[in-house]
Amino acid sequence: MTQPVLLTDSDDTAVAQAAALLESWRLEVRPGERTLAVAVDEVADVRAVLTTTINPNALRDVVEQARRLGLPVIVGCRDETARRRAVELRVEEWYRIPAEADEIAARVRGAIARRMPTGGEVTDRVARVEYEEMLYDYLTGLPTLPVMVERIRNLFKDRGELIVLYFNFVRYSKIEELYGWEKLDAVLETTAHAVREFLSDSALKTSRVMVSARNDDDFVFFHVPESGVAAASDAEVTELAARLERFVAGRIEATHGEEVAALFDIYVGRSHVYYSPKTRLERLIYRGIREAAAAAKSVEERERARKVADLRATLRDRRVYIDYHPIVVADTRKVFGYEALARGEMRSLRSPEVMFEVAAEADLIWDLSRLCRSKALEGVHTRLQPHEMLFLNVDPQDFADPTFTDQLESEVKDAQRVVIEITERTAIKDYPKFRERLKAFRDRGYRFAVDDAGSGYAGLGSIANLEPDFIKLDISLINCIDTNFIKQSLVETIVRFANDQNAMVIAEGVERAEEFETVKKLGVHLVQGFYLHKPARMDPHATPATVPRYTEAAGTGD
Amino acid sequence: MTQTQLPSVLIVDDNEDNTDIIRHYLESRGYPITVAHNGDEALSQFETVRPSIVLLDVMMPGRDGWEVCRIMKSHAEHGKNVRVIMVTALDEMDDKRTALQTGADDYVAKPFDLARLVQVVERNAALLPTATR
Repeated sequence: MTQPVLLTDSDDTAVAQAAALLESWRLEVRPGERTLAVAVDEVADVRAVLTTTINPNALRDVVEQARRLGLPVIVGCRDETARRRAVELRVEEWYRIPAEADEIAARVRGAIARRMPTGGEVTDRVARVEYEEMLYDYLTGLPTLPVMVERIRNLFKDRGELIVLYFNFVRYSKIEELYGWEKLDAVLETTAHAVREFLSDSALKTSRVMVSARNDDDFVFFHVPESGVAAASDAEVTELAARLERFVAGRIEATHGEEVAALFDIYVGRSHVYYSPKTRLERLIYRGIREAAAAAKSVEERERARKVADLRATLRDRRVYIDYHPIVVADTRKVFGYEALARGEMRSLRSPEVMFEVAAEADLIWDLSRLCRSKALEGVHTRLQPHEMLFLNVDPQDFADPTFTDQLESEVKDAQRVVIEITERTAIKDYPKFRERLKAFRDRGYRFAVDDAGSGYAGLGSIANLEPDFIKLDISLINCIDTNFIKQSLVETIVRFANDQNAMVIAEGVERAEEFETVKKLGVHLVQGFYLHKPARMDPHATPATVPRYTEAAGTGD
Repeated sequence: MTQTQLPSVLIVDDNEDNTDIIRHYLESRGYPITVAHNGDEALSQFETVRPSIVLLDVMMPGRDGWEVCRIMKSHAEHGKNVRVIMVTALDEMDDKRTALQTGADDYVAKPFDLARLVQVVERNAALLPTATR
């Protein structure tokens, strides 16, 4: 009888010892990021695959290859991120590095027990496919790639060609950080539904277009032209891709709003695969997928270059405008002040997250920050009432910009009207020095707000270090706070802390009446969000007399 | 008038004494109860029983409570119909943030008294989507 093989990319002695503990097993080590996935195919008698790679693409490749052959996967995780990834890929077992040999051996045994369907090994191809039919992406309900490849292999062989469309979803900045994973999941679900709907409606449903999910970001389409029908021309396929892109983007905007939609971009790459009897079918198809993915990547890069060009034009022509978000007193609903949110006039830069990310990549952050501040400060004396405060976002790194102080000096007449918002998220490396700088501004009358509080980047101790006048709660805390007791408990803690520090708490992102009532009950002082006001673009040519005034929050989301 | 049925509760703790105590207390109040002593058992019960409320201990060997919570709350069919209550010494802000990342809805700090436990179960039961009650 052949010796079962444990295939791994880890040279950890604990793994070798674990293999020894598994009686009559042999260990095969293939170190290096990309070699394990290939080895799964090539090494004989592999019974389990153990990987410790931190590269997410390599991990996915290994899991896919292993799944195809019905092999269980065990992942050694160095940190929480790796663990989460392993769980999301539904690997059979995982363990935390460092681990003892006997734990690793136990995990391997556990993985095999889980992987084997009852009734012994599945060797029949059809049965295996049906078994793998259970492998559907949990979120989108679409089949995973191994299943899809199995389904199209005969079609591909018959027709001799296949077109692969790779839809790469790009998420600007960190949508999950901003809105929480529930929102991200919801958007991906919307995307999957839109994709399926588009396909069932489109004229292409008569030709074989099938779609599968590849990890939770991307979608892969396989178009196998019907026999007797000419393969869709390049132009037709391009058109299909463009229409799908618009359809999906429209759906995301309609369901989740423009703010969220502006954070996504969809890039399509294409490849044409021809059947060749000399090469293994799966290899041809997977190669086609990789090519299409690479093509999607270069579209993404072209788009980024275009955005940088747009940004330069924006800076040159000062094409930024300010949305003023009202911040109101929770009890009375009277307007306390406004947060200035800068947006690019050009469509590609309408989302501030995108605009700033492009600026960071192109090393234009300081220029952009300066322009946005300038525009925001223009409004203090011409747009706001004398008692209303202006909340201005400032990156802690801006304090290192030598022109920052000069700009505030020359453009701010009354420092007491200005609250400088710094995000808790940026690691402030040198606290004592930073506090000194803050003191210089405080002495002039400026006040400070710490943004994104409770989001997990610093504890209450670090917030206390900054001696803020205002503490803004992270918006993910406010989302559905009426039904989540942990969020309520966190906010309660922060409110108590703030009261001790003589600071006021601002809840941002209040979108529903229930959220408003809950934060009010918890003692939050100030509130901001679409429930109270949709932000208005103030006409740059308006005079104070003609600008509509908010004296009180309506509470209808108008 | 028919009595509305109380939601089913799954108790997960590797310590059998704990699960026994909680089970008896909640059963005497009319809650249908299932018990699991580790993460895998819990997930298996979750699939077959589809509980409305899960009392989940954080510290367990094998799959810890965080992982189980995340898997349950992101379950395609049942995730939105279940409320997960973490049972732990959650007095640190870090733990609460982890709880939020994994999707937990509430927590009970250890050691807890049973009256408090029932309170917590009740306030979560009140927030269940009415269809599953």
